[in-house]
Amino acid sequence: CGYFVQQLMDKPHRQPVEYFSAATYSKPRLATFWHYAKVELVPPSPAEIPQAIIGIKNIVTGVNSGRLGQTTVKDAFRNGLVCTEVMMWFYIGECIGKGGIVGYAV
Amino acid sequence: MVPPVAVSPVIKTARWSFLLIGMFYGKQRYDYLKPRAEKERLVEEAEKKIREEQEKIAKALAEGNIFFNSSEC
Repeated sequence: CGYFVQQLMDKPHRQPVEYFSAATYSKPRLATFWHYAKVELVPPSPAEIPQAIIGIKNIVTGVNSGRLGQTTVKDAFRNGLVCTEVMMWFYIGECIGKGGIVGYAV
Repeated sequence: MVPPVAVSPVIKTARWSFLLIGMFYGKQRYDYLKPRAEKERLVEEAEKKIREEQEKIAKALAEGNIFFNSSEC
């Protein structure tokens, strides 16, 4: 019996196994999300707001001059997707304002 | 990993301003709808009471008919 106990004690220690849990699963994914969100999803800094106003003016002049009529279908599709995503932020804001996801809790 | 893309300021301002506008809109609409829903609930309660009274009378009549038609009384 002592022989077997000795064998157990002499077994080399492996690294402790990280069991599959919500924390271990989500931590690296959260890190990648944060890595991209810090650059892409931040609100505009006060220096960027005048740039945005100039950008909107450019778009308006582009419409008036007819330049925007020359966009390719590929570019138009891509811009359409971007606009859809921007519209979705409005609906997310509405959900926050009304305090619920589906419908108004009156 | 793909490096994160530098988003144009137009899109950034548009997104976040839409978020804020949406929050205000949601709050306004909620405040507009809440008193209306309360009133409608009261109206519905009153109508329901009247309806239940009428149903009770109709049921009593239906049961009473059984006795009215028999020749026992």
